[in-house]
Amino acid sequence: MNKDTQPVIQLMDVGVRYRMPSEKIPTLKEYIIRALRGQITHQTFWALQNINVEVYPGEVFGIIGPNGAGKSTLLKVVARVLRPTKGRVRVRGKVAPLLELGAGFDFELTGRENIFLNGAILGFSKRDMEKRFDRIVEFAGLKDFIDAPLRTYSSGMVARLGFAVATDARPEILIVDEILSVGDTEFQTKSFERIQSFQAQGTTILLVTHDVNRVETMCQRAIFLSHGQVVAEGNATHVVDRYLGRIRQKEEQRLKENQLEKQEWRWGNRKIEITKVEFLDKEGQAKNIFHTGEYFALRMEYEAHEPIESPVFGMAIHHNDGTHITGPNTQFAGLDLGRVDGKGWVLYEVDRLPLLEGLYHVSVAVVDKNDLEVFDFHDHGFTIRVLNNTLEAKERYGYISLFGLWKHFTY
Amino acid sequence: MTKVKDPLWDYDSDTIKDPAINEFIELWRYRDLLQLLIANRIKTRYKRSILGVVWTLLNPLLNTLVLTIAFSQIFRFNVPNYAIYILSGLLFWNFFSQSTNDAMDTLVWGSSLLKRIYVPRTIFAVAVVGNGLINYLLALIPLCLIMLFMHHPFSLALITLPLAILILAMFTLGMGLLVSTVAVFFVDFVYIFNVLLSVWFYLTPIIYPLSIIPSRFLPFIRLNPLLHLLELFHTLIYTAKMPTTTLWILTFFMALFTLIGGWLIFTRKVDEFAYRI
Repeated sequence: MNKDTQPVIQLMDVGVRYRMPSEKIPTLKEYIIRALRGQITHQTFWALQNINVEVYPGEVFGIIGPNGAGKSTLLKVVARVLRPTKGRVRVRGKVAPLLELGAGFDFELTGRENIFLNGAILGFSKRDMEKRFDRIVEFAGLKDFIDAPLRTYSSGMVARLGFAVATDARPEILIVDEILSVGDTEFQTKSFERIQSFQAQGTTILLVTHDVNRVETMCQRAIFLSHGQVVAEGNATHVVDRYLGRIRQKEEQRLKENQLEKQEWRWGNRKIEITKVEFLDKEGQAKNIFHTGEYFALRMEYEAHEPIESPVFGMAIHHNDGTHITGPNTQFAGLDLGRVDGKGWVLYEVDRLPLLEGLYHVSVAVVDKNDLEVFDFHDHGFTIRVLNNTLEAKERYGYISLFGLWKHFTY
Repeated sequence: MTKVKDPLWDYDSDTIKDPAINEFIELWRYRDLLQLLIANRIKTRYKRSILGVVWTLLNPLLNTLVLTIAFSQIFRFNVPNYAIYILSGLLFWNFFSQSTNDAMDTLVWGSSLLKRIYVPRTIFAVAVVGNGLINYLLALIPLCLIMLFMHHPFSLALITLPLAILILAMFTLGMGLLVSTVAVFFVDFVYIFNVLLSVWFYLTPIIYPLSIIPSRFLPFIRLNPLLHLLELFHTLIYTAKMPTTTLWILTFFMALFTLIGGWLIFTRKVDEFAYRI
């Protein structure tokens, strides 16, 4: 069989069961007392269940999921720290984990001694490390401090040293667990470049992160774990969509609940009342989460308790950071509502929502035509979330997309 | 069902042999790390004190001086060359108690590591015992000096001292692994063990001769494995004779069983370490 078409990591029906006392019994004394009374019960729970995953050479494979979904357990199984309770794990090649800050260091020892210690922990021989030593110091940028004890280092320096040791030799499999936020910006770039070059040279990377954009841009394939089970797997974009879908459902719920609580932000004499506010998609479905470039509509239902001549309906959008984005109203748009009495609704439609990713607060108001009398004002009363849509949003950074077109000419 | 290891795979959870045997192989693979762990501990120990190595040599001498004055003058034990009796016992005790204690401590240091990356888990206990060995050998220097000073005979049987040290090291490693296993599951065991150690110290004839024990207690006192191990050292160094074959065999198998027991329990239970977050 061809070696390159064979997976480098293979998990076959893997399950990991944790066994823990149903209450935490930290002391031997208590344990003995309870054991004598027969009060010790153990609870078992499956941190991973029925996991079937194959990762192929050179792939960047993402693992996403909420906290406690079993992501770290999965990494431990691959790094052979944990043996699966059930099923089988096979790994081809050397697995290099990027260690958590300071793990595997002795702070009493010098940087030099710690390089050798850390190298040995990663399974490199002393002779190997002697050859690598200068390169590691160079990359970590710690030449002047290498003979000082590690306890005199800043946490950034320790992290740099750890990264430099772990990644000096190109590993066949690299485990990256939310680690890229190490050191200063310059070092971050450097380490990111190094990981990318490993990838280009054929290193298989397991990436665990909450940053779904990173998964989408870096990974070919991914799995979405929840409660120890695989919810979705396959193409990274598809998996990220499923994951975001889950999050959206929860946030939608939260945003809706939030709006009902915000009554105190409302004022006005209520001659006309705004009784209901909804955000609609193209199908007329109410929702609170939109994508850049999508159809977006604001629907306000009102009830006028007395006849009012030409009231003005308006809205305002503020970014979560306080920036006022825009404030359209019916008067600016030249729409005269005429004499209003009883119930009705106003619709504000946007064909392509220009807002970029972020959280936005929406205020709605109805005032009299001379702007002297406020009938009803819901200040920052509603919240919408805008997500990045990779197809539509061809612009990034800031608040809005201009949906502009770039062209190029040559003479 | 036995599965044959496919050479294509570097790690296959199904073809791991018995964890106790596998641990042995892995320990050999990580011998460079073992060596570093031992060297580093010695470095950190001597780096921090001004007198450095001199201090380790001086320390047992001063201790012996104090104890000799205290016990030979106050309690008036009828032990000729009491200083040698007590020093040979103290060095023995220090090796045992420090190594078992340190085995627990280093496992705590190593636990953050063990949850993240694979290294053979017995490596910390083995390194600690290796360390204890080095310290013991260094401390033999002041012992020799005192023996020379007091014109104490050096027996030819002393050439078997390395064997006695090996037996002690086996026993100590076994105990170290046992207590580390318990300490991982119960945090208070570290303190409990310290209390146990001081009781154990007085149950072992280190500062007193066995002859002061009333004969009706002797059968109980002799259940203490350390008593027999110490007898090995006392006979070689203090009595300056060859220990009996019975004593050699008894202590060797005692140490071997402790080591095998500790090794088996530790390697069986070690998978649960990583589960304990």
